[in-house]
Amino acid sequence: MPLLEVENLEVRYRTQAGEAKAVDGVSFVIEPGMCLGLVGESGCGKSTVAKAILGILPPAGHIAGGAIRYAGRDLGGMTPRELRAMRWRDIALVPQSAMNALDPVYTVESQLAEAIAAHQAMPAARRRGRIAELFELVGLEPDRARDYPHQFSGGMRQRAMIAMAMVLDPGLIVADEPTTGLDVLVQDQILRRIRDLHDRLGKAMLLITHDMAVVAENSDRIVVMYAGRVMEYGGEAVFRTPYHPYTLGLCNAFPDLAYRARALISIPGTPPNLVAPPEGCRFQARCPFATARCGTPPPLIEVAPGHVVACHHVDQAERFRERAADPETWREPAR
Amino acid sequence: MRGFRVILDYPSGTAGAIVVVVFSLLAVFGPAIAPHGPFEVVYNTDHSVLRLSPPVANALFGTTNQGMDVFSQLLWGTRSALLVGLLSAVGSVVLGTAVGLASGYFGGWTDEVLMRLTDVAFGIPFLPFAMVVISLSKPSLGLVILLVVVFLWRIPARVIRAQVLSLRSRPFIWAARAAGASHARILARHIAPNVLPLSFLYAAIGVQTGVMLEAALSFLGFGDPNAMSWGAMLNAAFQAGAMRSAWWWVLPPGVALSLFVTAIFMITRAYEELLNPRLRAI
Amino acid sequence: MSRLAHAFSRRLLLLALTMWCILTILFALFRLLPGDPAAIFVDNNMSIEMIEHQKQLWGLNDPWWVQYIRYIANMALFRFGDSFFQNQTVAAILLEKITNTCAMIFPALVISVVLGTIIGAFAGWRRGGRLEQATVTTALILHSAPSFFVGILVLMVFSYQLRWLPPGGMTSPGGPEGFWDLITSADYLRHLILPCMVLVSREITGPVLLVRSSMLEIKGADFIDILRAKGLPEWRILVHATRNALLPLVTYIAVMTGLLLQGQVLLEIIFAWPGLGRELVTALADLDYQVAQGAVYVMALTILLLNLVADMLYGFIDPRSR
Repeated sequence: MPLLEVENLEVRYRTQAGEAKAVDGVSFVIEPGMCLGLVGESGCGKSTVAKAILGILPPAGHIAGGAIRYAGRDLGGMTPRELRAMRWRDIALVPQSAMNALDPVYTVESQLAEAIAAHQAMPAARRRGRIAELFELVGLEPDRARDYPHQFSGGMRQRAMIAMAMVLDPGLIVADEPTTGLDVLVQDQILRRIRDLHDRLGKAMLLITHDMAVVAENSDRIVVMYAGRVMEYGGEAVFRTPYHPYTLGLCNAFPDLAYRARALISIPGTPPNLVAPPEGCRFQARCPFATARCGTPPPLIEVAPGHVVACHHVDQAERFRERAADPETWREPAR
Repeated sequence: MRGFRVILDYPSGTAGAIVVVVFSLLAVFGPAIAPHGPFEVVYNTDHSVLRLSPPVANALFGTTNQGMDVFSQLLWGTRSALLVGLLSAVGSVVLGTAVGLASGYFGGWTDEVLMRLTDVAFGIPFLPFAMVVISLSKPSLGLVILLVVVFLWRIPARVIRAQVLSLRSRPFIWAARAAGASHARILARHIAPNVLPLSFLYAAIGVQTGVMLEAALSFLGFGDPNAMSWGAMLNAAFQAGAMRSAWWWVLPPGVALSLFVTAIFMITRAYEELLNPRLRAI
Repeated sequence: MSRLAHAFSRRLLLLALTMWCILTILFALFRLLPGDPAAIFVDNNMSIEMIEHQKQLWGLNDPWWVQYIRYIANMALFRFGDSFFQNQTVAAILLEKITNTCAMIFPALVISVVLGTIIGAFAGWRRGGRLEQATVTTALILHSAPSFFVGILVLMVFSYQLRWLPPGGMTSPGGPEGFWDLITSADYLRHLILPCMVLVSREITGPVLLVRSSMLEIKGADFIDILRAKGLPEWRILVHATRNALLPLVTYIAVMTGLLLQGQVLLEIIFAWPGLGRELVTALADLDYQVAQGAVYVMALTILLLNLVADMLYGFIDPRSR
């Protein structure tokens, strides 16, 4: 049985302009011990997926359709009590900005202890032992646990957050852009810690990032999201032999992955308005290969076993890959 | 003028505006329609003094223990209250705006001296100080106004300085400087218009505080003995123990004061939301 | 820490400057007394020599700047001299009156802060409801209402009409003596209820509005999401949020105490409470200037010190600024 199933998830936000479909029919599966990378530009809805899974959507957002199942149980059908009991114990979070993820007026230790206390009866001494053990695991000095968050550097805080995520030994860890706002060197350390959890402890993981390189290094399966929809979904073939023009564009932005690209190329334009999204393929306005057919909804095509692409032109992928390496292709259209 | 219309967009702002207009009319025409003078004794038909009478035809709101007409006193009192409120508001805002403009615009030593002066002013407790000054000199409305001005100017001074500081760093100011405009011209043409809405806000708050402080001082017996005011009425009623028996003497000045102060507060609240749209979300 | 120390010394300097200005104004004011200052304490059947001797004793024949320096020094050392009319030192009188004032202010302060925080926290947490709107509107109106009229109204209703509570004073005649006996007596409590209620009705608005608005801000903070994801019950999250919302309140409390002390004058008159404010009014009416200037000085100093405490306290209370 899969650990986490997300099926046709739809999340909407009430905005002043109307309802925004932040997540629109997203499906994926995480098996035990697997790391799934969810990648896309900022604002594509990937963080919203994480929030929906953790049940911490802001008041303006709500799940409008689909299902999230953890170990076969639908989260939507649970009572608040049941939900609260499974939070953190089953699904824990390493959040986007460790800067503000810790309550500034409590010590780090008390915030970890609080997570334990909310779910299991454990004597204070054993709790402290567990926290010290976890601090070692993430490379923090255990005697710093009594410090306040502001006494930690950004990297230390993020390690503390990783320790906090591990404190109940959850089945799944959601890491939502865990390296945002950190120095490049620290980013690397944090990612190594997270990879450790996955490799050594066999933790299942949902790794959310805008960085194709991070996904490529860490993930078993990859979901590429754009404007609330899945564009491409598959194994490492997604970055080795991408089919979707958007995936090609994302790979271009990271030189060590770029498909025969010589220089860093970024995708021109901005994501579409989600209150009134365009008909058909959502990427069409920015896609250098768009044709008239792209005005109709693209089919989901399985290009190889377990590798699905939402594009009308998968047959021309070979040509796309070649042309995508040429910076001229991604020049701003002369419109 | 746009500001006034926005105040009327809020039901509470409209209510406040209506109350203030009514009180203003009473302040102007009140003494003319008052049946008696503020210190005039009302007599019965048999020439005895009409003392501590509940409301009757001869004295609409009843009379005091000395036989004075509460209704007439209230009308005369409205005039002094609004006079103090208006003059102290104008005085404090003119002074505060001038200090704030000079401090914020010229900076440096001017700023340092003026701001330390403001800090000192913030350290002075008003009521005790005003009481001492009044008891050592001759109590009068003018002195009360002067004291309120001395007390109030500090707040607009600080706020307007902050506003000027933020204006001064905007490009259009140094563009004007570069174009060779004089200090006076920049202050008058570019800074003052952006500061005036704030001055207006503090003027309104000044009216409210002025009226309140005058009432408090008069209630404590430090008001002008020759001017009838709401505070003086409350003082007389309190001294005479009117709370026990003569509700008609206590309520009119107290209700008038509360109504007026709350009305101004509602206007300033609506106006503040106009100036600071962020407040609307809160 | 050195930044904090620097800020502290700057504040202290400003306090000294303000105090010096206030003292100078007081000195000038009391020297502007109409007529000879000696006339006030001089008895009619004193001889010229005795008056001269007394003046010499009081230093009234010295040049003004000697008197000025002596005045500043005396005030700074709390040597206020003797009351003209009461057979006590001014310091003793003031100490007694301050204690009485605190006996009214302190309970009101505690109730306002505790109750105001709870109301404000709930209003901010459940934003947008009718209850929240009503709370805010009530708070704003109470905030602008003239408290001395509220006091008179309360007195009219509860003391004179309903006769539930005594109309004023701290104790009934023949009540308990001694500070501890007094403040633990039911008689004192009965006298306290009305003035305390009036004080609370005004002072509570500050904590309510302040905690509510900082609550609104904290509600959107990332760490609140994490707490929720941790599976904590709602009330635990509310505790976290409230603790954060309390930070700005700490500074406000000190400022509020200063305001209380000033507004106190009116309430002490209305409720015949033998405190510092009432003493000032009586002293001015009796021309007991020694007591009056002492009272003003003590009030100003307390308010300034409280503001200093307010500025500094925040630095210590927020772990981030330590």
